[in-house]
Amino acid sequence: MTSDDMKKRAESAKEKQAQYGEDIDLDNYEYAVSEPSEIESIDDVSPEDQSLVREVGFDTSQENVSGSFIQFDTESILADVLLTQEGLEVLPMSQALKQYDWLKEYLWKAVPVDVDKYTARSELEIYNGYFIRAKAGTKIAMPVQSCLIMKKNQTVQNVHNIIIAEEGSELHIINGCATPSNVEQSLHLGVTEFYVKKNAQLTFTMVHRWSEKTDVRPRSAAIVEENGTYISSYALLSPLKSIQTFPKVRLFGSGAKSDLYSIVYGSKKSKYDIGGLLSLEAPRTSGKVISRSIATDSSEIIARGDLVGLSGQTKARLECDGLLISDSAVIRAVPMLAAHAEGAELSHEATVGKVGAEQLNYLMSRGLNEEEATSLIIRGFVKLKVPGLPPALQSSIDDAIKMSLEGGM
Amino acid sequence: MCGNLLETRDLRVEVNGVPILGGVDLEFKPGLVYAILGPNASGKSTLAKTIMGLPEYKITGGDILYNNESILRKTITERAQLGIAYAFQTPPSISGVKLDDFICRICPDYQCKAESDTLMGETCASKNDLYDNFERLGIRNLAKRDLNDGFSGGESKRSELFQVLSMRPKIMFLDEPDSGLDYDSLKVVGRELRTLREKGDTTLVIISHHRYVLEFLEVDKVYILQQGRLVYTGDMSDIPALEEKGYEKFLSEVIG
Repeated sequence: MTSDDMKKRAESAKEKQAQYGEDIDLDNYEYAVSEPSEIESIDDVSPEDQSLVREVGFDTSQENVSGSFIQFDTESILADVLLTQEGLEVLPMSQALKQYDWLKEYLWKAVPVDVDKYTARSELEIYNGYFIRAKAGTKIAMPVQSCLIMKKNQTVQNVHNIIIAEEGSELHIINGCATPSNVEQSLHLGVTEFYVKKNAQLTFTMVHRWSEKTDVRPRSAAIVEENGTYISSYALLSPLKSIQTFPKVRLFGSGAKSDLYSIVYGSKKSKYDIGGLLSLEAPRTSGKVISRSIATDSSEIIARGDLVGLSGQTKARLECDGLLISDSAVIRAVPMLAAHAEGAELSHEATVGKVGAEQLNYLMSRGLNEEEATSLIIRGFVKLKVPGLPPALQSSIDDAIKMSLEGGM
Repeated sequence: MCGNLLETRDLRVEVNGVPILGGVDLEFKPGLVYAILGPNASGKSTLAKTIMGLPEYKITGGDILYNNESILRKTITERAQLGIAYAFQTPPSISGVKLDDFICRICPDYQCKAESDTLMGETCASKNDLYDNFERLGIRNLAKRDLNDGFSGGESKRSELFQVLSMRPKIMFLDEPDSGLDYDSLKVVGRELRTLREKGDTTLVIISHHRYVLEFLEVDKVYILQQGRLVYTGDMSDIPALEEKGYEKFLSEVIG
């Protein structure tokens, strides 16, 4: 498709409301007017901004990573790859598109541009983001870290990312997004397209920390080819205004696998509508969608999960578990299963409950006070062991959860 | 005679509006071993859970004194911190909390400095002690399991015993610590309790029907409850007759 066609399709979807989530008036925000500038090295980032990125797990020493990417609003960008790391590319999207003509084929291939007004708007305004690629056959042992920061008021951060794990490669990405709490109304539009080629492995771990005035509408999708593996873990632990996201993973080649994990710790008046869809399109594809939600204060959480079995000899499982901590909070678990082929084995389990009095009393009889006992139960509840995740990533999720629970309680 | 560590005075308790204890007076002195016996549904477990402060056991009259002070207004946590411990018969499972981490958390003897000590692949010294002690109680295999999750009856008993022992309480209530145990485990539990008795600084209150554990421990005093009241106070020498005759006959003979 030419870029003109793309713009046309985007124009046609400009007013198309999203399937889920509260509608946002996109004309209330300012969009970037120029291409972002480049930051040479992490040393050029101010100490305040460095501490901000550290909050979402960014390692500013860059010691245990293979590459780094930071983007402030849609204004300035740092992209850096360890010199000794062969087969890895981390580039700002604008630069990558200039450098590689073929990259256009991947733009809006996993996520259709006319899904809704948010994807349409993203295409129509100036955007940036990252392009990360592991070249065929390379195992990138240490993770690539990326970080998207929104600092300006009343603006939209418009991001379009593409990640490609080429045939036989292995790539781990840890992604943090954050807004400082003093930011007034803002909107994050983030399109991310994942391409996992034959026999490749990609893990994508996200820790997000938004401000209470931020609306977030990520639009992401993945296409996984033969015997490829895509594991996504998402931790959202801070309050925000609203988020709605429903990433879709297409298990396209036979033997492709995908697990989607999410942990949402709802607080204040935040509204969360978070889900995940696995589309099993070839034999021997399999996967899991696992979510854990904790709702405190007056937060509202909708946890969706959707399994679509389009081929026989497929297997997938959905687990949506919610823990309610406050009487004014709400959790809704919406599991959906659709089998279109004989031999598509789909199952689900959904639970929503309060912290059990019996459990609390038991722990208190061992000398813990009520807060300690509650926090221990919650911590146990969110403890997600993601198989195949490198220990460093697992511990960064664990740390983020610990920090957030201690801050929140 | 020294004073009571804990006593109940005319204690009346109901559960969901149904009266269970109808005025019970009991005394527990420091360092002694007590058995609370009685037919099923006589209120034995209710008594222990009420003393621990579990909220479904509603006190409608009387008092519980600990070192001569009422503890009715104290929370479960405060009672635990005062030195009262209760080993649950069927403890609830807590997912995501491993038994060894939990014990490090609640027991002064095993407190590891921080969880991160073990994350780095090192094991702090107290964890080694902990594992030795797990081994002694035959629950080494439970260390990395989620607390009470899928534990067998016998495993639960030993894990509960382990927990209350390591809290080093002043008085512990063991609710049928011997049920569901095979002979070997029974010996292990008996030995642990015997060691505790010999140290002499913990009052042991055992709710049990098992002659083996009671005799092995040399119980100092036997209380028999029936229909929510204390109907008999005796000692070790009553146990063989009790076992032979059963509660109904024994009680009808001694009370008349």
